[in-house]
Amino acid sequence: MTSNTDDVLSRRKFLIASSAVGVAGLAGCTENNSGGSEGGDSGGSEGGDSDSSGDGSEELSGAIDIAGSSTVFPLATAMAERFQKENSGVNINIQSTGSGGGFANYFCPGDTDFNNASRPIKGEEEDQCANNDITPVELKVATDALTVIVNNDNDFIGEGLTVEQLQTIFSAEEAPTTWSDVNSEWPDEEIEIFGPTDASGTYDYFIEAIIGEEGPGHRQDYSATEQDRTIVQGVEGSEYAIGYLGFAYYSENTDSVQAVPVENDEGNYVEPSLDTALSGEYNPLSRPLFTYPAQESLAEEHVATFARYWMENSTSKEIVADEVGYVPLGDDEQQEMLDKLNAAIEEAN
Amino acid sequence: MATQSDTDQIQGFGQVSRTTGVIFRYLLMGATMFGIVTLAILLVYVANDAIQPLTADAGWYLVFFVTFVAPTTLVGAYLYRTNVDALKLGLLVVGMLAVTLMFSGGVAIVFVDIVPPLVSLSYAIGLLVPFAAVVLMTKYEDAIPFTARVAATGAIFFLSLFGIPGYYHSIPEMVQKIPVVPTEWVIITLVFGGVVAVVVGQYFARIRENTRAGVVAGVAALAATGAAAVSGMFTGVNPTALAVVAAGAFVPTAAYAGGAALTREEERIGLLLAAVVIGGSLVGAGIVDVLGFAGPQSWVDWQFLTSSHSGTAENAGLYPAIGGSILLMVTVAALSFPLGVGAAVYLEEYAPDNVFTRFIDVNISNLAGVPSVVYGLLGLGVFVTYLGQPTGTVLIGGATLALLILPIVIISSREAIRSVPQDMRQASYGMGATRWQTVKNVVLPEAFPGILTGTILALGRAIGETAPLIMIGAPNVLFNLPTELSSKVSAMPLQVYAWSSLFASEDFYTKAVPAGVVVLLAVLLAMNSVAIVLRNKFESES
Amino acid sequence: MSTDDLETDLTRKTENSPRELLTRSFFFLCAALSVVTTISIVALLVTEAAKFFTLTAPLMGVTGETASIVDFLTGTTWQIHNKEFGVLALVSATLMITIGSAIIALPLGVATAIYLSEYASKQARSVLKPALEILAGVPTVVYGFFALIYITPAIGVVLPGIGTFNILSASIVVGIMIIPMVASISEDAMSAVPDDLRQAGYGMGATKFDVSTGIVVPAALSGIFSSFILALSRAIGETMAVTVAAGAQAKFLNPLDPSSYLEGALPMTAAMVQLLTGDITGGGLAYRSLFAIGLVLFVITLIMNIISDYVAQRYREAY
Repeated sequence: MTSNTDDVLSRRKFLIASSAVGVAGLAGCTENNSGGSEGGDSGGSEGGDSDSSGDGSEELSGAIDIAGSSTVFPLATAMAERFQKENSGVNINIQSTGSGGGFANYFCPGDTDFNNASRPIKGEEEDQCANNDITPVELKVATDALTVIVNNDNDFIGEGLTVEQLQTIFSAEEAPTTWSDVNSEWPDEEIEIFGPTDASGTYDYFIEAIIGEEGPGHRQDYSATEQDRTIVQGVEGSEYAIGYLGFAYYSENTDSVQAVPVENDEGNYVEPSLDTALSGEYNPLSRPLFTYPAQESLAEEHVATFARYWMENSTSKEIVADEVGYVPLGDDEQQEMLDKLNAAIEEAN
Repeated sequence: MATQSDTDQIQGFGQVSRTTGVIFRYLLMGATMFGIVTLAILLVYVANDAIQPLTADAGWYLVFFVTFVAPTTLVGAYLYRTNVDALKLGLLVVGMLAVTLMFSGGVAIVFVDIVPPLVSLSYAIGLLVPFAAVVLMTKYEDAIPFTARVAATGAIFFLSLFGIPGYYHSIPEMVQKIPVVPTEWVIITLVFGGVVAVVVGQYFARIRENTRAGVVAGVAALAATGAAAVSGMFTGVNPTALAVVAAGAFVPTAAYAGGAALTREEERIGLLLAAVVIGGSLVGAGIVDVLGFAGPQSWVDWQFLTSSHSGTAENAGLYPAIGGSILLMVTVAALSFPLGVGAAVYLEEYAPDNVFTRFIDVNISNLAGVPSVVYGLLGLGVFVTYLGQPTGTVLIGGATLALLILPIVIISSREAIRSVPQDMRQASYGMGATRWQTVKNVVLPEAFPGILTGTILALGRAIGETAPLIMIGAPNVLFNLPTELSSKVSAMPLQVYAWSSLFASEDFYTKAVPAGVVVLLAVLLAMNSVAIVLRNKFESES
Repeated sequence: MSTDDLETDLTRKTENSPRELLTRSFFFLCAALSVVTTISIVALLVTEAAKFFTLTAPLMGVTGETASIVDFLTGTTWQIHNKEFGVLALVSATLMITIGSAIIALPLGVATAIYLSEYASKQARSVLKPALEILAGVPTVVYGFFALIYITPAIGVVLPGIGTFNILSASIVVGIMIIPMVASISEDAMSAVPDDLRQAGYGMGATKFDVSTGIVVPAALSGIFSSFILALSRAIGETMAVTVAAGAQAKFLNPLDPSSYLEGALPMTAAMVQLLTGDITGGGLAYRSLFAIGLVLFVITLIMNIISDYVAQRYREAY
């Protein structure tokens, strides 16, 4: 019985549906430009201070897949967000996989168009890419300044810290327990150490720049945390604490903690800031951040346009510094990257 | 407690154990409530963070108290004391409107941004034409041998959906090539609204036992859908979306309420509650708007639901993740429902009692206990590494989640099938039905509500899963809705996780994440309540 | 049994018609898919994990870096940066989550089951059971967020030494999450206790308390035990709540020392998520360790599920 009424129902539905199409012919009709291109739902605020060359003339479409470093991730999303507003036909998908994981599992197998990295590509990764006919194009997108912070009440470190002193404090070899172990003039108080976990790129770079890859390694008896917020809180709460984190977080908390000037290769103590990082004075704790588009993908217009857009905005203080917290490129560097990119695009076509 | 005396001493043991008994009882009750109360408190906190009720004007509260809270409480209390069944009906109508609104909102997203109405229509026709042919063939069941029928069915479906490239267009292609087509909202109104109108019409024809009443109701339903769409053109709201919402939420709820008013004389007073709730909130919103009282500065707002990710928490939205979750759900349901029910039917109706069957049995219960992150590895290893699929697409996300919930679907479907009385099967066999006919005509229809409940609950699990999506490399941020099975996809829980881990700034914690959590929980509660209502209905019927 | 024979009799004639064969084989394939799934999981985890170990990598044709299987299984240091893959550091964190959630979920779950099966009125049950189901239905990433944002600060008021990421609050939410599992399976076991036993107890003058604790619980013990194992296996495999709330720094902690629950650590499942999303350098070896952890996790949960099944089978036979 039930099946019988169902039959009636579905047959009637079918009749209605087909007659509906007929009726529709008389009602509101439009010309069919196949596919039904509905305008985007975008709207809202203006993007950055771009004067991108690609927009306006032709509607771009296609997908751009980006993977790689979680450090570069916020910068990539900030760029993508703005690009998307101007080019609603382009789908940008961004994934945080870590620099190495991005190269090995996504970029070199040809799955993604860009790979973000907080370090330059390694030889073995280039080999892997070459095996799959993928040519990475190295583009510097920003500079990250690692910042060593101490409590606001700390006045004994004076001018700042040397690389050797940082090495002493953070390496596993000496692992001093009190400040006086580092410098006998400093107070005999326990050092409380805060830092990122060993899974973070910041930790990695700190080892590379301060402790040395071959050395005894980073000490493990410190308060490791995944969140920079807790590093600031920890250092703020204890007079004899020290910690390090990305510049972005320090710049949001300049009242809560003080940044330690670090002695650079010329022997000057330099405090981290946008200017000192940009000029290269603040070293060795500033590191370049990269994105690697695949030259093969740059043959596609929407990918090339996005890469250009990113480079054109890489000097924007508004996006790179204020929103994401990295140091933007200087004009010369930007020109260099643009030339490199344009050469790669030309070669790809 | 009582004064000591000799007799008390004799009853001492009983006294002690009675006290123990009472304490024990309350301890048990406390233990039962612990988890529920803890979760309730957490929900209040997160809702407070997301909706920020304290930021609203006092006037706003006053208006809504007068127009909404007070009348609802009064009517509710009155119904509770006089007629509980009527109260239930009223609540059901309100709940139905809320759930159908959510559901049809999802469908609207599909039509507006994922599969345009014309394309959907073309595939619907592409499916209906061969379906009609097959129905026609069943009429001559005896004349054509079974194998030939199966072959013909396959061929018809293939030809109409795929055509022969180069020679003969498939039906969807032909439909999409028609030079002049109705505008999108007209298609939706006529097809989607039309189907709803037919159902509504049949419902009314049945309860009034009068075809004319049915026709009138059907026409009214279609007219209501059309009116909603047309009103969209004047108010600037997308008419396609309005047509979907009208046909999917307003018309069915109104029809149900209308039907109840006609047939359930005892309880129709309960509809007053629904009227007060809906009317009160509308009137309240109108007054607040006119008087200019500011509502709470909720992070869950229209902007949050309809925009995509942004670097600033205030502008961040969940839209691509909502669309992604919908597409994933469709894929998961399409894969896990037939496979799960098929396996359950095999194990309950066909399987011989041998070692292999018992092995499958144990195997399924073990699969139900495999951690979701291992399913993620399975998806990554099998679909991405071995089959070479691109990472993070709707297809492999859906397939991985489908494998994850398959054991749950199988187990709950088996329970539903097992609860079908053996007598019914025997009656069917006794009438000469084959096993398949018995399954098709007796077992599955009887077990269907139970199977549906189990599947909805399992889908609820799938919609909240994050780990497998991370494993298969779903993107953390995307800006557009996926439109194909091969598009990259994000999902609501994944987006919430990305906000809480990759944008670990205070702003995202206090704004975007709580808002995302509230939306996700609202969807889940809606799915759970549908399942529970279905189950209660089913249990009270059988 | 007899009805089966009857069915066989009634359907024998049509059993071999093409339509019956077709539908039957379709249903069989559906059921067989579950076996295929299991085989794929085992095969995948074993082959991929084999590429990770020095001992087995040559068999898989993998050159490159590998790790010692002994160090993996007995090492207590997990530092990807230094290529130290001691899974015990992760196992200790998982164990702590399991212990912590067990302390919450097992007593509460059993108490809930006793209440629902022995004390609650039918009406109370019809409200409480769906409410408990919702506890299990809340997405785990949401639980993780709750633990991190609301529970940890609340604990911090009482125990100021608690870390932002800590095992304690993660165990609490995992515990809440698995209460319904303990409760529903235990309740099934308690409902399966024949009423005769209860009546006999009351007949002897026992109170409801005596009957519940002295008769029903012991009689349902195997079912309760099986629910424990199943729930704990769920806690071990729980991923997002611990990823969000338990921390990201692998540490070997002593699960018997209460103070270590205030620290953060890296459970196995969270380590797997971290390997795919964190900003660690180095691709190959770290990536393959993912499958080695996955294998350990799968084996542990599989053993627990099998034990639970076995125990549950026994109690079903009892009545």
